[in-house]
Amino acid sequence: MFTARNFTINGQKYDVAIEDGETLLDVLRDRLHLTGTKKGCDSGDCGACTVLIDGEPLNSCLLLASTVDGRSITTIEGLAQNGELTPLQKSFVAEGGLQCGYCTPGMVLSATALLERNPDPSTEEIKDALAGNLCRCTGYTGIMRSVERCKNYLEGGQCAKPHETASPAEHSGVGASIPRIDAADKVTGRALYTADISLPNMAHGKILGSSIAHGLLKRIDVSKAKALPGVLAVLTGADVTDTKYGVSPARYDEDVLAKDKVRHIGDPVAAVAAVDEKTAERALKLIEVEYERLPVLTDAMEAIKEGAPLIHEKYKRNICTSVDYNFGDVDAAFKESHYVREETFTGNNVFQSPLEPHASIAAWNHDGNLTLYTSTQVPPYVQYMMAHVLHIPLGKIRVIRPAVGGGFGTKAATTPLDICSALLSRACGRPVKMVYSREEMFHYGRGRHKQHMKFKLGLDREGRIKAVKSEVYLDGGAYTSFGVATAYYAGSMIPTLYKMPNYRYDGYRVMTNKPACGAMRGHGVPQPRFAFECLLSMAADDLGIDPIEIRRRNAMTPNTMTLNDLDIGSCEFSATLDAVAEKSSWKEKFGKLPKGKGIGIGCGGFVSGAGYCIYRGQVQLSHEKGREQFQKKAIFPHANAVVRVSEDGEAAVLMIGAAEIGQGSDTVLVQMCAESLGIPASHMRMQSADSEVSPLDLGAYSSRVTFMAGHAVSRAGAMVLEKMKPYAAAMLGCAASEVQARDGKMFVHGDASRNVLWAEVARQCFNDDGPLVGTGWYKPPEGLGGDYKGATVGTSPAYSFGSSVCELSVDLETGKVKIEQFTDYHDCGTPINPQGVHGQVEGAIVMGAGETTMEGVEFGEDGHLVNPNLHGYLIMTIKDAPEIFSGVVDSYEPRGPFGAKEIGEGSTLPVLGAVAHAIANATGVWIKDLPITPEKIVNAIRQKKAADAARRERRDEPVTAK
Amino acid sequence: MHISSIEVHKAATLDEASALMGRFAPDVRLLAGGTDVLVDLKTARFSVGHLVALGAIKNLRGVTEEREGLRIGALTTIAELGRSPLIAGAYDALRDATSRMATPQVRNAATVGGNVAGAVPCADLPPILIAMNATALLVSDKGERTVLLEDLVVGPRQTILRDNELLAAVNVPRPPARFGAAYARFGLREANAIAVAGVAVALVLNDDRTVRSARIALCAVAPVPKLVKAASRLLVGRVLDESACAQAAALAMAAAEPIADLRGSAEYRCELVGTLTRRALAAAQQRIGR
Ligand SMILES: Cc1cc2nc3c(=O)[nH]c(=O)nc-3n(C[C@H](O)[C@H](O)[C@H](O)COP(=O)(O)OP(=O)(O)OC[C@H]3O[C@@H](n4cnc5c(N)ncnc54)[C@H](O)[C@@H]3O)c2cc1C
Ligand code: FES
Ligand code: FES
Repeated sequence: MFTARNFTINGQKYDVAIEDGETLLDVLRDRLHLTGTKKGCDSGDCGACTVLIDGEPLNSCLLLASTVDGRSITTIEGLAQNGELTPLQKSFVAEGGLQCGYCTPGMVLSATALLERNPDPSTEEIKDALAGNLCRCTGYTGIMRSVERCKNYLEGGQCAKPHETASPAEHSGVGASIPRIDAADKVTGRALYTADISLPNMAHGKILGSSIAHGLLKRIDVSKAKALPGVLAVLTGADVTDTKYGVSPARYDEDVLAKDKVRHIGDPVAAVAAVDEKTAERALKLIEVEYERLPVLTDAMEAIKEGAPLIHEKYKRNICTSVDYNFGDVDAAFKESHYVREETFTGNNVFQSPLEPHASIAAWNHDGNLTLYTSTQVPPYVQYMMAHVLHIPLGKIRVIRPAVGGGFGTKAATTPLDICSALLSRACGRPVKMVYSREEMFHYGRGRHKQHMKFKLGLDREGRIKAVKSEVYLDGGAYTSFGVATAYYAGSMIPTLYKMPNYRYDGYRVMTNKPACGAMRGHGVPQPRFAFECLLSMAADDLGIDPIEIRRRNAMTPNTMTLNDLDIGSCEFSATLDAVAEKSSWKEKFGKLPKGKGIGIGCGGFVSGAGYCIYRGQVQLSHEKGREQFQKKAIFPHANAVVRVSEDGEAAVLMIGAAEIGQGSDTVLVQMCAESLGIPASHMRMQSADSEVSPLDLGAYSSRVTFMAGHAVSRAGAMVLEKMKPYAAAMLGCAASEVQARDGKMFVHGDASRNVLWAEVARQCFNDDGPLVGTGWYKPPEGLGGDYKGATVGTSPAYSFGSSVCELSVDLETGKVKIEQFTDYHDCGTPINPQGVHGQVEGAIVMGAGETTMEGVEFGEDGHLVNPNLHGYLIMTIKDAPEIFSGVVDSYEPRGPFGAKEIGEGSTLPVLGAVAHAIANATGVWIKDLPITPEKIVNAIRQKKAADAARRERRDEPVTAK
Repeated sequence: MHISSIEVHKAATLDEASALMGRFAPDVRLLAGGTDVLVDLKTARFSVGHLVALGAIKNLRGVTEEREGLRIGALTTIAELGRSPLIAGAYDALRDATSRMATPQVRNAATVGGNVAGAVPCADLPPILIAMNATALLVSDKGERTVLLEDLVVGPRQTILRDNELLAAVNVPRPPARFGAAYARFGLREANAIAVAGVAVALVLNDDRTVRSARIALCAVAPVPKLVKAASRLLVGRVLDESACAQAAALAMAAAEPIADLRGSAEYRCELVGTLTRRALAAAQQRIGR
């Protein structure tokens, strides 16, 4: 039943007919198209939907619109007046208060309400006021800064337009902390994410997921669903292609919709399109599915047992990949070692939980071309995989990547939403939008593999590594997804940080009846890195060597080939160790803190882009060719850019398909391109969203964008400059080789007073020669990697390094950990945008600390998810986040663009070990099983007390002869 | 998930609300702040055809000082309660609960009535209110009655409220001299974390610092907010030294009947009850000292 209601929103009256059961959030977004208010969870947990009602922040997802008519509602769209940002919005822009921007509208509104009632809040008051707004990207550090410094941006303050903060005299290219180029859109709610987009005549789709974790599909009846008024199309496995898909070409094992078997709760079984989402949801309930239950495997160690039921027939013992790396002779080396210790560790099934749920919109043109809007990190892989399952050439598919609200790996593969929206759209002849609910995101998964790890370490008397051996079982869930690469990464990256003469790794990627795991920030490496770092710190304790010192003694050096043939170029790892030790006052603290206080060290590093891509030479094709002979070179360029100068010379449009997902790639690419063009970044515009406009870039994974796309854009810029030089030379009366360009001027080398405006030269070029365009591309160097099986994984043109010191306190009675301080130094090469680098580090520390202490998807015996929501799956709030100091050490990577490497994923790696070490330091017990929850801490302390008491008692016993 | 078709009736008075409840029972729920009801409807914990919205009933909202003590209208939001100037002095302990539960946004919507009458075992307000001897004023179009708050809830999400009856107010008697109360809770995050366990304590001391009365109530470790009567008996007449507190903690642990779930095992919860009891006793005592 519809009732006409009138709302006062941002001072304006709206009359709308709504149903009584609609939330204010849905009315704002779907009926009034005020899409700045975000839906992150729809259950009060995240704060993305925050609006002000009579000045007070509330969750619009928990309000029935029918009960708030007549009250004054402020949404994010109501803050900036006549295009002028509020001081707080300006502060968010300038101080790095946002990354993906999905939490930003809610965050800004909560902070606005706070400042309204308390213009000068204390740090604690700010944290209290923002405790209901989750952010997954920033680690809250930039947000705190933005609110604390808001006063600096009061009327008339700087920064009216974002990336023009730097005054023209100031350099805004490489090395400058210019604000993100999308910041103003994101603080005002103007940035459009996939779910914010509506196409004319658009329908809405939903997927029915399996209600059981393992079983055969016996019968499926959709007749009632089809008969429901408003339903436009219903598809089941019988209606869709038999072509399987996935990520690794050798392991395509996913059905678009289940054909005969379901393998985890939520496994897609049917898909519905209807006139609205609510009708589609109702239709799902009318689909009858009969299953024959099969035994459920939720434990990888059970799944590999002889005789366990097979989840896929083709994976014997449920193992889809085994890795065997064997370098040197570990057994002999352990025999020769002065000290050997072996420990087992267990990781957790961490889920990325980006604030923005996955979403897709598919629309077919009459000429048979598909346009897909999707919240993805890897547009070209989605394009490729869509071509594969739809059996159409890749060229008929246009992928548009609107603003993306964080990914961290869960958006690194083609989703059922991508495929089903296209199939449903074809079936009903209308554009179809599909958006995951928070629960569906968890059911789709692609989070971190839970790894069962055994690590053995052999050292000489001085603590130098003689041998390392690991055996890892990766619990992969029901499909392979990225799992092959994950299993290799878990082994290949261990030798990059410390020198080790002998190394062995056995890895097994195991199928279980849980949502598939995939590539999460640090892909495969954080848990083994955690295990190794813990073991190294334990060894340091045993040998009486300072834990930082033992790391120094083993630290990787520049220009070194690791024993697994990874080619380390620049490496300032030791410098990061020295810097964190100094900055954290390690010497004064380690071993000297009172009980309950702890300090710990962890280190890590990562690739700056994978040396090889998943699809080898086949990116141009829409279906799989047979296995190709492997050649040690990139067949095609991994990053490609075009830059086109506007006809008046006042702007340059950069086109590159690099996926901006919140990490800030648009901004650093603009900076690098501007630098090579010689113009201010504010004269650049970015086109990275549309595959029709922007040439191929493989996407946001393996920390590759700054490095690889950076090369492509700077080469494109350089090409333009080369074309301009003869014109400038003619104007300046010098040789073309003498011309230089910087910040919008072209001048004679060595005499900047002889200069001409860059734009004037560009105009001249156009007038004489037509479009002024440059192109650039990047291929990783040839010959990367060794000659053994799996040698490609872990190869990269460059490697990052970092060290983190964590300080915390533990409530020894309850086990509660309060992470107080992090000190981090990274060797990320030369930072292109320091603020962006620190933002990545701050976000990674908070995410990693949460991962170590509170995160993990839990499963019931029947395979159901216990906590598929943001009140069961806890991520850190602003009140949990530590104080963070992030620093970079001087470094220059000759292979990188402007000396840069990576920061996005490497920043996660030191965190887990640092936290675990600090907890051990505070409590006297090592907990080797993630997450390190208060309960585990209390239990471990109790066990240790009992063991100590028993030992004392034994010592007191009279000694009797044997 | 979207909420399936539902009709919202906005009651203007208590009587009207009661009549509407009677008319549509059992296919109806009261809607106060909606922070539980909306989540429950979306997740289909229950589904009803009608909601009776209380928002327009003016006299249900607000905190007032009466002769016998505080009257907290059922529609008072948690945020309003927390910032009411009347929550001062002896009533301060209420803020231990209001300031630590949920999020600012939720506290701006969630009501005291919903938190209490919702009867969710991990609700934060009932234990401290029970410790402070609060009573509940229940009203229907047929009349009204007052019950002890500890008698209101009989099971998870179950109360003694009749179909057409609603909670109009919670009354907290004015504390006597030498009174101190505190609520200690444990959650897995610094903010927005449901209590894994909570312990509320209200103490009245004699001039010689022996205990005149002690009430200890538990959160999230039993099907209902549970008053630990044995602890009251134990403590009366004693000085709150370490051993008395330890014994009270042991009794609280014995009274707890926690479930094991995602947030903690039963054993861990019991252990927390012990720790929190000692901490709440200490905090309450300290407040008397001031
Ligand atoms: C993200 C989030 C975090 C939360 N964290 C906490 C927390 O830490 N601690 C905590 O205690 N709670 C927490 N809650 C739960 C919730 O906010 C509270 O229980 C809230 O106080 C319920 O009040 P309400 O007004 O929103 O109730 P509603 O949702 O409107 O109603 C709840 C129930 O009470 C009944 N009811 C409401 N008013 C009356 C009345 N006057 N008479 C009779 N019955 C009535 C309703 O019919 C319904 O069954 C959280 C909720 C969310 C969404
Ligand atoms: S969408 Fe409302 S709180 Fe998350
Ligand atoms: S910027 Fe906060 S969630 Fe991405």
